[in-house]
Amino acid sequence: MFSYSVVGAQLYTGDMLFVMISFLILMYLIKLVAWKPITKMMQNRSDKIANDIDSAKNSRDKAAELAQKRQAELDKTREDASAIMNTAKQNGQKQREQIVEDARNEASNLKSSAEKDIEQQRQEALANSRKDVASLSIEIASKIISKELNEDDQKELVNSYIEGLGKQK
Amino acid sequence: MTIGGSNHTFTFLGLTFNLGNMISILLACLIVLALVYGLSRHITMKPGKAQNVLEYIVDFTNGIVGGSVSGEASRMLGLWGFTLFLFLLVANNMGLFLHIDVSGITYVKSPTSDPVVTMTFSLMTLMLAQYLGVRTLGYKQHFENYLKPFKLFLVVNLFEEFTNFLTLGLRLFGNILSGEMLLTMITGMATGGGPVMWVAMLPLELVWQGFSVFISCIQAYVFVTLSSVYISQKIEIEEV
Repeated sequence: MFSYSVVGAQLYTGDMLFVMISFLILMYLIKLVAWKPITKMMQNRSDKIANDIDSAKNSRDKAAELAQKRQAELDKTREDASAIMNTAKQNGQKQREQIVEDARNEASNLKSSAEKDIEQQRQEALANSRKDVASLSIEIASKIISKELNEDDQKELVNSYIEGLGKQK
Repeated sequence: MTIGGSNHTFTFLGLTFNLGNMISILLACLIVLALVYGLSRHITMKPGKAQNVLEYIVDFTNGIVGGSVSGEASRMLGLWGFTLFLFLLVANNMGLFLHIDVSGITYVKSPTSDPVVTMTFSLMTLMLAQYLGVRTLGYKQHFENYLKPFKLFLVVNLFEEFTNFLTLGLRLFGNILSGEMLLTMITGMATGGGPVMWVAMLPLELVWQGFSVFISCIQAYVFVTLSSVYISQKIEIEEV
């Protein structure tokens, strides 16, 4: 059959032309209808995927960096906090000691001044009573014994008496 | 030329046309175009069902072409491989489902069961290979490749070129024709031998049809693969 068509006059040259032209037209139409958009879209998609991978890597790096920074800040903050607490504690300790010291000083001051006052008052009271007793006893003695004594003998007498009182006390 | 009937031919401008072939080719083209058109609606970044199918076919044919042709030429040949594969796939299978004879004259069949059609495709591959060879290597390089490994090989190389042309076309033609021929014979036996024969022939016809579909798909794949191999041979400098 084939040899017949090749050798004989029956080679369908028109068909050959028709096949070629229709194939080329088909190819052109497919290019127009589907090939261009689909290959463009596939290219776009592969580009997008590549971009996405890159940007994902970038964001992951950034996130890691951020986490590291945050961790460092956290550590620093913790250190700061403990330092502040230590100073506060030290300050408190110091203040407490200061207060106690002050109070002690105050107390001892008060005590000493009180002692001094008491001593002074006692001295005054003693002096007063000595004076009073001396004059009183003089009066009494002058009245009772009606014997004249000079004031010096009298004072001596009274002093010895009062001393006796102080010892009894 | 075809089985089971003669052809309706006419002459126009000194060229002989076969009406059956023309109708079949046109039909195949329209089916391919409709298929591709239907699959390529709503092309989006996130593919739908139809787009997935189309992208799978594109990837498949790109894989066939890229398997032998590399680099920039492979991108250029993508559309050619896609169109050729789909056209042959449809054309090879068309005759298995649709075979219209009107009073002994065939009008619709597989266009690839005609040697004129398959040899034309073979010739197109050959011409494309020559054109790309000259384009990538230049005239001098291109024709020097015929003298490798040494000058006497010119005869062998030219003969190889011719046999490539013949085998590429005839392989396809033979496979498709034999499938259709046997189908026609089985159908003839079924319709000519009464109801018992009809029932007996049904599974046979079924099996042969399935086998023919398989062969048709394989042949479409083989044709595109071999074509891209021939082209790749022409656009590379032959190693000595």
